[in-house]
Amino acid sequence: MSAAFRSAAPAEAGAPGGGRPGPLGGPAADGGQASSGSSGGRSARLREALAGYAFVAPAVVLFCVMGLYTVGYGFTLSFAQWNGFTPHWTWVGLGNYADILWHDPRYAPRVRHAAVNTLWVMIGVPVLTVVVSFPLAVLLNQAKRMQGFLRSVYFLPYVTSGIAVFFAWTYILQPDGAVNTLLGQLGLGSLQQPQGWLGNPDTALPTMIVVTVWGAVPVAMLLYLTGLQGIDGSLLEAAQLDGAGWWRSTASVVWPLVRPITSIVVLLNLRESLQGFQTFLVMTDGGPGDHTNVLGLEAYRLAFLKDLAPTLGLASALGWLLFAAALILALINLRALRSKT
Amino acid sequence: MTTISTAPAAPSAHSADGAARTRRRLARLVVGVLLALYGLVSIYPFLWMVSAAFKDQYEVVRGGHLIPQHPTWDTLVSTWDRLHFFDYFLNSVQVMLLTAVLTLVIYAAAGYAFAVLRFPGRTALSRLFVSLLFVPGITVMLPIVLLENKMGILGTHIGLVLPFVNGTAPLSVLLMTGAFAAVPKELRDSARVDGAGELRIFTRVYLPLARPALITVALLTAIPTWNEYLLTRVSLNDPSTYTLPLGLQTLAAESVPHYNNLMAGALIVVIPVILLFVSLQRYFVSGLVGAVKG
Repeated sequence: MSAAFRSAAPAEAGAPGGGRPGPLGGPAADGGQASSGSSGGRSARLREALAGYAFVAPAVVLFCVMGLYTVGYGFTLSFAQWNGFTPHWTWVGLGNYADILWHDPRYAPRVRHAAVNTLWVMIGVPVLTVVVSFPLAVLLNQAKRMQGFLRSVYFLPYVTSGIAVFFAWTYILQPDGAVNTLLGQLGLGSLQQPQGWLGNPDTALPTMIVVTVWGAVPVAMLLYLTGLQGIDGSLLEAAQLDGAGWWRSTASVVWPLVRPITSIVVLLNLRESLQGFQTFLVMTDGGPGDHTNVLGLEAYRLAFLKDLAPTLGLASALGWLLFAAALILALINLRALRSKT
Repeated sequence: MTTISTAPAAPSAHSADGAARTRRRLARLVVGVLLALYGLVSIYPFLWMVSAAFKDQYEVVRGGHLIPQHPTWDTLVSTWDRLHFFDYFLNSVQVMLLTAVLTLVIYAAAGYAFAVLRFPGRTALSRLFVSLLFVPGITVMLPIVLLENKMGILGTHIGLVLPFVNGTAPLSVLLMTGAFAAVPKELRDSARVDGAGELRIFTRVYLPLARPALITVALLTAIPTWNEYLLTRVSLNDPSTYTLPLGLQTLAAESVPHYNNLMAGALIVVIPVILLFVSLQRYFVSGLVGAVKG
């Protein structure tokens, strides 16, 4: 931490407050006039720095305990074998990583299978979320009268996205549930799932993806809506003067302009697909027959449901692989965004 | 647009105006229908939640109609008792309020420092908080449980609140920093001329101006905390400390879970948070929008 302080210091001193350079620096360079006396510069700057540390101190203390300590602890644990009860850890180095990736016949195949499922979720959820929320935001942006009301309605899934609403989904997707009934009434009886949508191994994962998208659309829609309302109207007028219709101007003008938002939406959903599993835990618990087992759920099982088996290190290692994957995805996303804007 | 467009799509100038008007009306109709359709998708689970909460246990297993054929209050009443609503509600409220208040105090202060005060390490520290966003919950959940066990706060509400507060750090820091950075510097300067100290400037000038952002952060903290299930499930053991989602879980875990009771319980759990959202959403959207733009 102290290294971070030191390395950042020169950069900070180099560019305080933008403009107004001068040896007197300090608060004067921030645009402050109060301590404009030339002698007060240094002590005022010190006082401001001290105030700064005092203001961030609670956040930093909490972060050190709940963040740094737990992250460091988890990282160390990922190199050890432990069941949570014995007093000592058995060091296995990179063994845990090897075990879950290829070495251990009990865990590696399960993890690989979960990885494939997770990959489907990571493709399906971001793509579908963008496909649904961008047009939705464009349409909502054109509806002047009902916009506020509809925005609230669309936001409801975010507000309630917890165990309660996932139970409701489970109920709807039952063999005798609302979705099957609805299909029957629409004359689409051939699409009904007699085992229920979560009971059929073929439909379980796609169904879970749809439910996840349902929960992801609200935030994405709101982000897009914000972006759309920030677009300069004259750009659209210019496009229309050039003869572009609604469709054309949306596809060629609006869509490229909101690319940064698409990038954020994709990133958020990739992260959630990679790491989130609460929906899966509540709705399917990985079933039927591991067809909806995802990596987060597998890590959860290794950490909390193995009783006396020494799998805590494995869980930790899997967690760190998830973290590494998330970081790589974030960097790729950032790079893609930067090269296009 | 109608007058200027050289309109390759309009062969005769006479009918062009009328056709354009019908087309626009049709377009508006299509837009309205599409928007209404997604609105329906959006509230679909709630409709069934409400529906099932008024059905008896025979009707509920038949699926059937959205409108209950034999509507009954019994389901809600009996679920209310079995959910131990008031005990769990008070626990939930306690955890939610503690988390929201602590988050506001801690990260409003931090955001103020990052946005306004100059001190060595500022940039590095703020980046550190944002990078926390990429640490998966599951990666730290086990260490948190082990650590809290050592500290003796595992299973207590404080043991939930501290990780929750820390978990909101990236978003809260971002939003608060953005909100405080948008406050004009002149206000701070004139407060200083009047002899106000740092704490006074923060509480009297900056905090009142950042109200939408504060409410946004409070909601973004309170709503997920209200719905939080995973950490509470692995850390709470004593039913007297349970929050509402865990109460709901015990309903679902009964040997024969009745969907009418489960849905009534789900409804009871989500109504408070919906009310909270609806009453504060005006600030919420503007705060969030400001944060995204900033």
